[in-house]
Amino acid sequence: MPRAIVLNRADNVATLIDTGRAGDGCVLQGEASGEVKLRQDVPFGHKLCIRSACAGAEVLKYGQVIGKATRALEVGEHVHAHNVESARGRGDQIKR
Amino acid sequence: MANTFMGYARENGAVGVRNWIAVISIMDNCNPVTRAICHAVDGTIAVTTLFVRGQYGRDLEIAFNTLAGMGRNPNIAGVLLIGLEEQTTEEVARRIRPSGKPIESINLQPHGTINAVAEGTRRAMKLVVRASYARRKPCPTSALLVGVECGGSDTTSGLTCNPVIGQMADRLVDDGGSVIISETSEFLGAEHLFAARAVDETVKKAFVDAVLRLEREAMERGMDIRGTNPTADNMRGGLTTIEEKALGAMAKAGTRPLSGVLTYGEAPSRKGLHFMDAPAPAVENLAALASAGCQLIFFGTGVGNPIGNMVSPTVKVSGNVNTLRTMSDNIDFDASEILEKGVKVAVVGNRLYDYAIEVASGTRTSSEVLDVRETAISRFAPTI
Repeated sequence: MPRAIVLNRADNVATLIDTGRAGDGCVLQGEASGEVKLRQDVPFGHKLCIRSACAGAEVLKYGQVIGKATRALEVGEHVHAHNVESARGRGDQIKR
Repeated sequence: MANTFMGYARENGAVGVRNWIAVISIMDNCNPVTRAICHAVDGTIAVTTLFVRGQYGRDLEIAFNTLAGMGRNPNIAGVLLIGLEEQTTEEVARRIRPSGKPIESINLQPHGTINAVAEGTRRAMKLVVRASYARRKPCPTSALLVGVECGGSDTTSGLTCNPVIGQMADRLVDDGGSVIISETSEFLGAEHLFAARAVDETVKKAFVDAVLRLEREAMERGMDIRGTNPTADNMRGGLTTIEEKALGAMAKAGTRPLSGVLTYGEAPSRKGLHFMDAPAPAVENLAALASAGCQLIFFGTGVGNPIGNMVSPTVKVSGNVNTLRTMSDNIDFDASEILEKGVKVAVVGNRLYDYAIEVASGTRTSSEVLDVRETAISRFAPTI
């Protein structure tokens, strides 16, 4: 079973330290325990959602904000650039 | 008793971990002669550069200061400057002179390539022989200034190599040594945590201003920094945003107070942990760290970045099992047991501290042995 590390109790994502396949039960380690079923294949080192979040919610890792969800996140879902957006250095969002 | 390593004590009180003769190009058109001399003479390193000619104002100052800083680095026993003409060569020479080390210079005008290579080879040879009389002796680790860097980062970086480097950095600061973390863009989203460690309001403001200035410049240019930082390979490695990357990158600085803020290539004037405001890409950042006088650099990598600095031996640390398998040639220190065996960061970090003493005492790094080394000095303005 693939393993994933939770770095802070407040986090809503965990980091996979093995390669995950859709349907795998992923074992949580670190600041949380239990098992989360992966909804998609998730590559080594990528993140999965461990607590559902609505669109616009803060995504937390290390207990800190790493970005905002661009759509609702379900438990077991791959969390990456397709559903999380950075809030920093975004000159492209400035209206001119 | 103080922790020690076997180093080269220089006349000016600095301690080198290597005993090289640096052959330094004053500008890009000198590089072929610099390389030819270094091919001919064992014990030399080629410090090449691009541009300089046509640079002006702050950029030209940075170029001269950085070349001179690498020449002043305690790892360098003597310097041979290769210039085009005497006036610009003297700009670098006069900045190295206070170190008291032997400096020779050759200018291509009016000698031409063949004569410059011949005369440069002769002088480099003499410098190398003279330097070889130096012997290593026990020196306190408080004499060490180390740079901490990361590149080719992924999500393992923030979990393994960077906190391991941070543990080593804490040990070194506790010994009375100094550490420099840099890469300004890699604090976006983590700057509040690092700022809280500043020793006073002046240091705090200087640090925060540097980070916000960089973000403001990106905003003013209408740019989205995504894709540039985090890079495409960072993102393939699982890093989603600059905030996530920054929170992992900051771990390299350990946990000790932030004592000072430095400009590009500037040497710290006091001990402890420092931040240097400099661009993140490895080659130009490593040059700035070497110019500041770092005798060693510790470089955390996830998906793998092999490059090292010419002047400052660069120790590659990775905790990514896949990279350790596929790019083992380029990795000096394996931190994978944190994720693979549940070994604590502090345990692996203490092992890295011991390894740092070894490298400072002469154990060679992969980038030295394979000569996977490069120099670039940041440019902030166009040439004319």
